[in-house]
Amino acid sequence: MAAAQTVRPTGDDDMASEKQLSREEFDHLAKLLGVDGEPAYLDELYSQTRGVFINANILREIDVSGAEPDMVFMPPAN
Amino acid sequence: MDTLEICYMSAGDLSKLVQNKEVSPVEIIDAHLTRIEATEPVLNSFITLLADESRAAARQAEKDIQAGRYRGPLHGIPVGLKDLYNTGGVRTTSGSKIFDTFIPAEDCTVAAKFQEAGAILLGKLNMHQFAYGPTGENPDYGHMHNPWDPDRVTGGSSGGSGSAAAAGQCTITTGSDTGGSIRIPAALCGIVGLKPTYGLVSRWGLTALSWSLDHPGPMVRTVEDAAITMNVIAGYDPKDVASAKVDIPDYTTALTGDVRGLRIGMPKEYFEAPLDPQVRKAVLDAVSLLESMGAVVSEVSFPMFNQSQAISSTILMAEASAYHRDLLEKDGHQLYEPVRQRLEAGLFISAADYLRAQQARALLDQEGRRLLDDVDLLAGPTEPVTAPEIMASRVMAGEQEIGVVGALTQYTRPYNINGFPAISVPCGFSDTGMPIGLQLAGKPFDELTVLRAAHAYEQATDWHTRRPPL
Repeated sequence: MAAAQTVRPTGDDDMASEKQLSREEFDHLAKLLGVDGEPAYLDELYSQTRGVFINANILREIDVSGAEPDMVFMPPAN
Repeated sequence: MDTLEICYMSAGDLSKLVQNKEVSPVEIIDAHLTRIEATEPVLNSFITLLADESRAAARQAEKDIQAGRYRGPLHGIPVGLKDLYNTGGVRTTSGSKIFDTFIPAEDCTVAAKFQEAGAILLGKLNMHQFAYGPTGENPDYGHMHNPWDPDRVTGGSSGGSGSAAAAGQCTITTGSDTGGSIRIPAALCGIVGLKPTYGLVSRWGLTALSWSLDHPGPMVRTVEDAAITMNVIAGYDPKDVASAKVDIPDYTTALTGDVRGLRIGMPKEYFEAPLDPQVRKAVLDAVSLLESMGAVVSEVSFPMFNQSQAISSTILMAEASAYHRDLLEKDGHQLYEPVRQRLEAGLFISAADYLRAQQARALLDQEGRRLLDDVDLLAGPTEPVTAPEIMASRVMAGEQEIGVVGALTQYTRPYNINGFPAISVPCGFSDTGMPIGLQLAGKPFDELTVLRAAHAYEQATDWHTRRPPL
């Protein structure tokens, strides 16, 4: 097997290390969503939320043309 | 019989003694309650212990068996349910003090099936709050502790199930697996955890985390016990909208010990990801052993493994936030802060991105099916590391330091996305004495092949016979 070489996100906390969403944008969205809290809490939530946006960017790089979302997902028996 | 021996016997072996009236359910329950009393101060596996109730049930089971009303292999066998399985008349907290006094009116389908089979409910097992985390942290009911080293996590979210089975507190436990929550604690605690195919075991009456990713399943010490449990809990349930109408085989027929001709694929991407060298060696040795037993092993490629975290996270976070939104607004301040943050972060996911993740999920499903046209099973590590220390946020996987959440779900999430059955079976120990798990995944509803390979491997090794130093 090949040696470790792939660089890829490995979790929300890792993903958050890459800046994708400014703090001002986050504060604006949080207000619209009714999300509030102490400054330290919001700092950590901001970090988590950047991970959400990095995931979204990864998804946008996948060619999903022709793929229909299965809204009630169930693997067929065969 | 020595009470500790009773606690470490499999359901398969215990049931023979019960049926032959060589051991009574009362002896079995008493032995387990003694074991729990001795180990619980260290492990904290239980949220609710049903000592009196289980003793009463054991006396009734003994009477029934003496009167010739033996119900089958789980009659008189102690079971622990993760505390998000609704149990009629017994509080079900989902790991949160918010539900500290919630007593469901009726059993979930799985609990009802255990009851019908004569199993005895010993208690409700500790878990990561609302099943939203892979480590087994719980500030409300106390963190779970790994029986092999109490300073280390059990894994989660079904952490109490992992520690209870590994330490001989319960013969059979259950978990629920949304991103790995059965297989993660199974691997880190050195037991067997089976995530069945999506739709095979009813979710009805379980607190949801993510509707389309949640899978209930058994966490036990032997593959045979996983098969015995599946014989009881699998099957169509009209109360669960995702329940599958499929024929249910006798899962114990898979336990042949024969893997000759079985085709096993090793996704090369699994070994390109961050991976502890000791885990890598244990897994490669395990697959080599299967090969020496007649399996045909080949390297395969599973490119979308590299996008599986993004797909899974997006779906899971959006669905969890939708499910818990009212709770978040009403009682958010009472939630464990990391859980609250994950739930609130999910609110930032757009509908378009959620649906794109579902589109990508369809592609990952197609890729997995194509892979399983050429092989019968996919093999790899369950976890890239052994159990991290409690409250650690980062862990070394080989030479790479990575986040604990991402690390622990690295290999498990793909099979929540496509719903394929996947099992973790013990395949070794690290130099520090921590368990390592081998993950085997198969075609949808082909649990027989998954169990067959896992059982053959288990029977050729002695990892499952080792006991934690408690």
